[in-house]
Amino acid sequence: MLSRRNFLGAAAASAALPVMAATDQGLKLAFIPQENPEKLLGDINVITGWLSEQMGVPVTGFVTFDHAAAVEALRNGDADISFMGALPFVLAEDQIGAVPLLSEVYRGQPSYSGRVFVRRDSGIETLADLRGHDIAFSDPVSESGYIYPLDLFVRAGLFSGTGDADSFFGQKFFAGGYQQAMQAMANGLVDAAGASQYADLYLTPDQQAEIRVLAESEQIPSHAIIARPDLDAGLQAKFIETMLRLNESENRHLLAYLYGPDGYLPADPSVYEGVRETARRYGFLK
Amino acid sequence: MKYLIASTLLCALPVIADATAIEESPWAPRAAAYRLTLFMGNLTPVPWGEIERSWTSPAPGSDIQVAPLSRVSDKEALAINQAMQAEDLQALFEASTIAIAEGILRHLDVAKTALGQPEAAREVAQAAALFRAFEDGIKAADASAARDLGRAWLVLNSTLGSAGVLGNGAQTVDADQFAEAQAIVAAYIRANYLPSEYAQRDKLTPLPETVVLSGEQITMPATLPPGSNIGDQAQLPRLVLQFEEAGEDEANLPLVAYGDMLFDSPEIFGGPARELGIACSTCHNRSDVNRDFFIPGLSSHPGGMDVDGSFFNPMFNDRTDDHLDTPSMRGIRFTAPYGRDGREPSLRRFIRNVIVTEFAGKEPTPFQLDALEAYVKQFDFLPNPKIDRSGKLTDLASDDAKRGEVLFNTKFAGLGDKSCASCHTPDRQFRDGLTYDIGSAEPPFPGGTASAFETPTLRNVNFTAPYMHDGSLPTLASVVDWFNDTKNLGLDEAQRADLTAYVEAVGDGEEPYQVFEGRNSVFRLSWEELTTFASTLDTLLPMQDAENIAVLIDTVAPDLAADASVMVNQNAKPEIYEFAAILRAVGDASAEGNWTEATRQWELFKAMQAEIDERMF
Repeated sequence: MLSRRNFLGAAAASAALPVMAATDQGLKLAFIPQENPEKLLGDINVITGWLSEQMGVPVTGFVTFDHAAAVEALRNGDADISFMGALPFVLAEDQIGAVPLLSEVYRGQPSYSGRVFVRRDSGIETLADLRGHDIAFSDPVSESGYIYPLDLFVRAGLFSGTGDADSFFGQKFFAGGYQQAMQAMANGLVDAAGASQYADLYLTPDQQAEIRVLAESEQIPSHAIIARPDLDAGLQAKFIETMLRLNESENRHLLAYLYGPDGYLPADPSVYEGVRETARRYGFLK
Repeated sequence: MKYLIASTLLCALPVIADATAIEESPWAPRAAAYRLTLFMGNLTPVPWGEIERSWTSPAPGSDIQVAPLSRVSDKEALAINQAMQAEDLQALFEASTIAIAEGILRHLDVAKTALGQPEAAREVAQAAALFRAFEDGIKAADASAARDLGRAWLVLNSTLGSAGVLGNGAQTVDADQFAEAQAIVAAYIRANYLPSEYAQRDKLTPLPETVVLSGEQITMPATLPPGSNIGDQAQLPRLVLQFEEAGEDEANLPLVAYGDMLFDSPEIFGGPARELGIACSTCHNRSDVNRDFFIPGLSSHPGGMDVDGSFFNPMFNDRTDDHLDTPSMRGIRFTAPYGRDGREPSLRRFIRNVIVTEFAGKEPTPFQLDALEAYVKQFDFLPNPKIDRSGKLTDLASDDAKRGEVLFNTKFAGLGDKSCASCHTPDRQFRDGLTYDIGSAEPPFPGGTASAFETPTLRNVNFTAPYMHDGSLPTLASVVDWFNDTKNLGLDEAQRADLTAYVEAVGDGEEPYQVFEGRNSVFRLSWEELTTFASTLDTLLPMQDAENIAVLIDTVAPDLAADASVMVNQNAKPEIYEFAAILRAVGDASAEGNWTEATRQWELFKAMQAEIDERMF
């Protein structure tokens, strides 16, 4: 959770920044969808309406197809700001110089982990037991839904990289999302799932009681809100200042329209160093 | 019931890593409409108007930005519309099934041609979302096919290729494997949802056609249509319990504690309420009303439903679509007789009627009725210092309200030379225990007799909007206007404002919503409540009352496990599962008549409870 000291510091820093040079430009926000982009449009309208009112500039939003499309949108100027996972962010930072503005706080933490889940009745006790078994991950460019859970096997000395994973596992699937990966595991379609620390919440309470965590990764910085590098600095600061108002009690209900975090923190680029290192280790970054 | 709290919160919980606010429910415009059609089509009599609305306007909670029927072909839309106009259940089943099935095949075909492009993943996702309309039926009827199809969907997602992010994490397309998996899905769809001719159905069902033709009897789990909301509302009503106000602990009142547990237990109801986890508290939330409760097809608006329809108990179906707003139970010991028309003279008979008649539960034992009655009699009104013990306004009331009090006690010709106070009698908790036909109900058929309704109390009425038995009036001012207009009271605008101010003064209450200072974690509240429920084992075990122990265990053990989902300290989840397992062991031993073991496990439970209490939060 955002501490009062940090919050006041951030607010004071924002207030000290120069007035925006281009307040009439407006802001274009890119939202990452899951399976129901039509409904997300309604949520976006709530948030962009509030931001427009608070910032005094027109704010519009659109749903991208995925992280890759959001990064492309930042690169070609179709979007000014986007919601983004940690791994896609460091890739966008490397390729187009994207800058992190804000970090999500969820369940009181600005970070989370990746986990490997199995069914309690599977008889699988260790990561090594998964040799020859089937596993479902979320997505090939997901930090907690692929790279960090995979890294657990590498750190355990079971194989050395993404290429070796295919020969270690029986079959390795990218299910298309956390829920799909977790349901595939819970329903017995595969033996394990690699997904976010909170992905078990996609299961029913009954299903949650029937699974267990086999291994947990190191902490990953939580999702971020990032900007294209050439976005007006004043506009960036104004956006940060406004978004931090969502931490105030009278605005907290709006967080439900923004992927439901507890709140936001000003982003600290240095906390992504571990992600950059991991991305390099697996060949995502040079 | 806790399961519902947990489930609802789960739906609302974000999953940070996928960055979406959207709850991951089985949802897609066409699939949702199809499932809603199945739900309503199986209500008797068939609510055709509701079915049409489900296809032409989205149910609350399924609100979308897509025009109705815009994603089906013209031919499919025509067939659906014609079936609804003809009120032909079989034709509607066929038309909607074809629309979903063809949609799945179309999306997969497009995905195949777009392999390697982002569009391919989007098309597969759309196909998978539509497939959910059939998935429950396949899982229930054909486990082997469900597994093959589940694996096929995994292959479809894994082989469609990806450009990654700026080229990083790119995945190559495997067109051959994609085609193989597509063929598996398509073959099953064609065989089961696009047959040359559909078997005639008495009831709509998502079961695969081959299973229907086999004649095999499959029990489908009870489900509610998309847009249903049977979880708690966000702002919890304040629960005023007499014993708590007197400083007593519920754990020292085993009959009340057991009644509290039963009030939260779906185990006392029959199916489908029990399967869905619906308990007394689902609607009568914390003695008041769950104003968000809504089931498309059963509710005309949030906060109530038609309880005597065919869904919960076909035997009780009165074949009229009559939504009833859920009444508050605050101060219920003062409000006999019970039921909308006062047909039940006692609280005991009313409770039995809800369990057995409305929700198809088995006959409750006298002990269970004793316990439920003991608990609900503890519900008190919110304190209201604006009225005294005889119902007269105190000095804390406004001058407007005091002028309104005079009007409230004035006799009107339009009220049969009675006053408002004649029925809403101030010194009888603003009611008189009688029923009246005040002309606000529609007769069940032309020329029929409209129903009479109990005089509702005005205590705490500020918190029970909307008003009248059917929630047809949104504010107390509109109720005053309704009486003024329909009963020719002749009140001018200022008088109506005064009368409204009076009713609002009487209907007020202190702290209507609960604030849990320092205890505001959902799990901690649930933990305290469930362990209090379990405390009645101290009474039930010495009595060797296996039947009531079974009800308690079946309610509390699964709820404890379910509540682990909403723990802040998620790392402690396994301990809660263990805790629930110990409680289950008490039940197992009790069922076997092994009272020594049951008692040993119960002592283990209490010891672990004390330990967890110290560090869980």
